[in-house]
Amino acid sequence: MSVLTRAAQPGVSASDLPRRSRLIGRRVVLSAIVPILILLVWWLGSLSPTKGLFIASPLATVVRTFQDFLGGNASHLFLGTVAWQDLLPSLWRATVGFWLALVVGVVVGTALGVKPVVAALFQPLVHLGRSLPTPALLGVFFLLFGTGDWPKVLLIAFGVIWPILFNTIDGVQGIGTGRAHVAEVFKLRRRDVLFRILLPGAAPKIFAGARVALSLSLIMMIISELQKSRNGLGYLLVATQRNFDYPGFWSVLLVLALIGIILNIIIVRIERRVLAWHQGATSQHD
Amino acid sequence: MTDNQIPAELVMTGIAKVYGTNRAIDDISATVPAGQVTVIVGPSGAGKTTLLRIICGLDAPTSGQVHFDGAPIDGVPDGLAMVFQDYSRSLFPWLRVEANVGFPLRRIDKKLRRSRVMEALEAVGLAGKEHLYPWEMSGGMQQRVAIARALACHPRLLVMDEPYASVDAQTRAELEDLLLTIQATMKITVLVVTHDIDESVYLADNIIVLSKAPSRVSEEIPVRLARPRDQITTKEDAEFIRLRAHVLRLLRNIPEAPTGAGSLAAKVTA
Repeated sequence: MSVLTRAAQPGVSASDLPRRSRLIGRRVVLSAIVPILILLVWWLGSLSPTKGLFIASPLATVVRTFQDFLGGNASHLFLGTVAWQDLLPSLWRATVGFWLALVVGVVVGTALGVKPVVAALFQPLVHLGRSLPTPALLGVFFLLFGTGDWPKVLLIAFGVIWPILFNTIDGVQGIGTGRAHVAEVFKLRRRDVLFRILLPGAAPKIFAGARVALSLSLIMMIISELQKSRNGLGYLLVATQRNFDYPGFWSVLLVLALIGIILNIIIVRIERRVLAWHQGATSQHD
Repeated sequence: MTDNQIPAELVMTGIAKVYGTNRAIDDISATVPAGQVTVIVGPSGAGKTTLLRIICGLDAPTSGQVHFDGAPIDGVPDGLAMVFQDYSRSLFPWLRVEANVGFPLRRIDKKLRRSRVMEALEAVGLAGKEHLYPWEMSGGMQQRVAIARALACHPRLLVMDEPYASVDAQTRAELEDLLLTIQATMKITVLVVTHDIDESVYLADNIIVLSKAPSRVSEEIPVRLARPRDQITTKEDAEFIRLRAHVLRLLRNIPEAPTGAGSLAAKVTA
């Protein structure tokens, strides 16, 4: 009897286990095919007599990445000189720029979303700012803020604020009359309405905007460092090319790809925790 | 739960509401007696929602006045709690049931708040469900949470705006009985707006029938069906059947049918 009932439950019986692990194995193999092909093309490219001059082989790139970015001793937290000189300053600028954009974007977006008059007043300005390609403003930011970290941080913030701003406006406006009525009838204080209804309700949209902004901030980080820089990954991309140091150049690309992947994993994790209710609530209506 | 929870009386005198050239409410005067269930029923577009907003102090009438326990209202009166039609829009999906029900009580001491929340959940039959999220529950359970949230405020007047319009018929019957039980034990004043005629007769001590817009009171009907009411026996009572036909005629503007076989014969010969 117990054997029968156990066999009736999916995914528990003993004969099921090998099939399941076979399925997982097949997925791993499938998802590995494309990266292996890319590596192969990369490697073949590096062998080419003409193009090979500019393409470092995958192995040389990985070795160089370890040397430059991880070669340090314990006193340097095992990070290499390039990591200290270029990677960390770049990440610092991107982080400050991103958080600045997040705070300003959410505050301004909430104000614009709540007050239609303010929204109408600032609409032309917002659309102007959004439609300007931010890299075009690089020179303006250098003129206004000198050549240190600030023009770069502010350029990053300016470049990534738009998805956060627009999503916050959208999220706050999409709260709906139903919840507004609840706030009215139960006489909630304005502070509670803001922090307990508007912002949590807009959080899924704000998160979506922040996710776009985060990947944009890496792009803006590189662009801001292409000119008038003495360090940073963007600077390094230019400097290694000028010196025909192609393994160095390719190792920067590898590091950038890794940063992108790691940031995405982090934000997905955070989103799953903070917005678990949203996933549950939306799957209910499917 | 009965501490200073004396039921409130609501009196509407000559209420009119005009939007531009559109006269939504022409002239409504009616009383919602303390400690009873009053149901407002009207054809769709009768300005029921507008009237509710005026009663709750969210909108001012163009003319006329609403008195809550003898005092003219200006803003949402203390002691008024409301259950909204659409639970999925009125509950907060990012809060668990306990936090949802305790939401209007934010200014109250934490311990007292918790005990009031538990009491309210117990009253609607959701004890032990406080850790769930609303979206983990069925529609009927979610509307119970919304009712519990209103009860946790210890209201003296409970206003319900088509509270059961978005649940299925069987759940609806359960929730109607739940409301009657709660009202009988807590003796609060209840005002329900509905478009369901059976529901209006089943729940009410008094029915206020509204006309089409610009709305007026067609009739105030006292309902003298015995309590406690029962979904089967009350609804097969001759008086219930007579009342629901009467309300339906009022809503459809059909003159009252002549009663008795004699008049039927008279009609045939005529």
